[in-house]
Amino acid sequence: MMRLIRILAQALMAVRAFKVRTFFCLVSVALGISAITVIVATTEGAFHEAYLMVERFGPDSLMVIAGSDEARAVGQRTKTITLADVEAARQAFTSAYLTAPLMAVEGTTASYKNNKYQTLIIGSTSDYSSAWSWPVIEGSDLSENDVIGLKNVGLIGQDLLRELFGTENPVGKFVMVKQVLVQIIGVLSERGMSPTGVNLDNRLIMPVSTVMRKIINETRYVTLFRIRFLDQENLGHYENEMKLFLRQRHALADDQPNDFRIISPMEIIKFLVALTGSLIVFLGLAGVICLIGAGFVLANLFLLSVKERTREIGIRRSIGAKKGDILFQFLAEAVMITTAGGVVGFLLGLVSSKLLTMVAEFPIYFSWKSAVVGLLLSWAIGIGFGLQPASRAANLEPIKAVRE
Amino acid sequence: MDEITQPMVLMDQVTKSFRIADQDVAILKGIDLNVRRGEFVAVMGPSGSGKTTLMNLIGCLDVPTDGRYVLAGRDVTKLTDDELSVIRNEHIGFVFQNFCLIPYATVYENVLLPSLYTMKSKNDAAGRAVDLLRMVGLEHRTRSKPALLSGGEQQRAGIARALINSPELLLADEPTGQLDSRTAEDIMKLFVRMNADHKTVIIITHDPNIAGYASRIVRIKDGLMET
Repeated sequence: MMRLIRILAQALMAVRAFKVRTFFCLVSVALGISAITVIVATTEGAFHEAYLMVERFGPDSLMVIAGSDEARAVGQRTKTITLADVEAARQAFTSAYLTAPLMAVEGTTASYKNNKYQTLIIGSTSDYSSAWSWPVIEGSDLSENDVIGLKNVGLIGQDLLRELFGTENPVGKFVMVKQVLVQIIGVLSERGMSPTGVNLDNRLIMPVSTVMRKIINETRYVTLFRIRFLDQENLGHYENEMKLFLRQRHALADDQPNDFRIISPMEIIKFLVALTGSLIVFLGLAGVICLIGAGFVLANLFLLSVKERTREIGIRRSIGAKKGDILFQFLAEAVMITTAGGVVGFLLGLVSSKLLTMVAEFPIYFSWKSAVVGLLLSWAIGIGFGLQPASRAANLEPIKAVRE
Repeated sequence: MDEITQPMVLMDQVTKSFRIADQDVAILKGIDLNVRRGEFVAVMGPSGSGKTTLMNLIGCLDVPTDGRYVLAGRDVTKLTDDELSVIRNEHIGFVFQNFCLIPYATVYENVLLPSLYTMKSKNDAAGRAVDLLRMVGLEHRTRSKPALLSGGEQQRAGIARALINSPELLLADEPTGQLDSRTAEDIMKLFVRMNADHKTVIIITHDPNIAGYASRIVRIKDGLMET
């Protein structure tokens, strides 16, 4: 044991003595590892993002959207889900603790004093905030009475709030929407961008009855509804049930496609993976190429070094170093350099990913994982590409070596 | 035979041949050599006589093609590479013509080098290195790199290194070949001192003045001992 430590000390001495070799090997490994670090952090970021989105979406909830892509493509109507459907679902699915219809009206202008802003009007029930896990942080939530009484009240999103009110407190003030005066009663918390780049904070939430009757004059159909279940683990089962339930209610024949679409948390994850997948593959490829390049730089410089240090190796062998000792020393030199490269690379990755997030919306999440992956890879390069030069060093004949 | 009277080096009809251009060339053609413990022997011979090959065999840097070699009572003819490394480390101190110090290590670190590879668990090398450096008169150069030292100083560091593991046998290959005659004399006096200190010393040289320090001269010519 002490013997190994003494040989490690020799390796460290050589790493410090051959500065040019150490520098170039370290830099090339660091570049490769930094790319890998960014990739791991991005992958983790994507998963983290997916997890957050599922949390926000509600891991226990399904979203049923009227119309389907196929239906839309062939010009069939997309108004398919009625308020009655939603009510029927509420009664049919006894393990659902929350069912909320939603009516979306896009591109509506809301104004306050001289400020005008295009926004998304959403009609829903008093369950909206809890259905979307989206808390009201100021004022009060929509009530059942607001829905029953077709009240002209609304909850305002942070972005719309900034555009219309600036720093003014909106609670109690009136906003004009399509000749209807809507009193703001509550403020929603900040939510940011959706993965498709939609600003979620630009919206106004009103009672679904008010939106249907007073804003767009609609009596039956809604855009979608959302349903949350007590037993999250059976969600897949409920998704199928819901499909059959709606097909039956809409009297669809077996050969007809669904006239609605069900979105589950799984689907969100799939979507996000598809979105970031190609980026990760590209970065991964770049990182692997970088690392292999670093490996060849290391192997080459070490082979040169073995040649240059033939005499040293001969001296060590003649005074009692075994082949294994020489192998161990050179491998240790390689691994020490690549480990340092790994550490530098990790820091470089940290900095460059900060820069990346500045230029583009980029899911980056650093945890011990990216550090561990970087470290393991740097050891793998040190051993993998250091082995050949090291075994060449170990197999030099001591006589020839000393004579040179 | 007990420890004292058994020979340090005992070679019995040792041959060594190398394959050069598809031909076996015999360098040593049957060497019988007996060096007793505590002897100071000079091996002399013209270049090409095989004295360096003999030195490699004595030093366990190479194995004989045929014959038998017993070092300090142990038959080393058929040992593996690792076993030979241990023998070199524990029983033999090497002094080279071109000093063979590691350039990026200090004098002190160079002296310690053989002690790094020792298998023995008890190892008071650090203290011994200081003593040895004082003995060879280099106590003021311990932290210097070898390149800053004169040839004589480098060779004295080499001798200190050879002694660090307290080997029974000191083996020197033209140790004064790169030194002027005054410095050479100093170095040879060190070997005489070591010999007085019960070390067996074998020196390979072609210089009769150097061989003169030995108590016995063995001559080798065309791969054979001259009697």
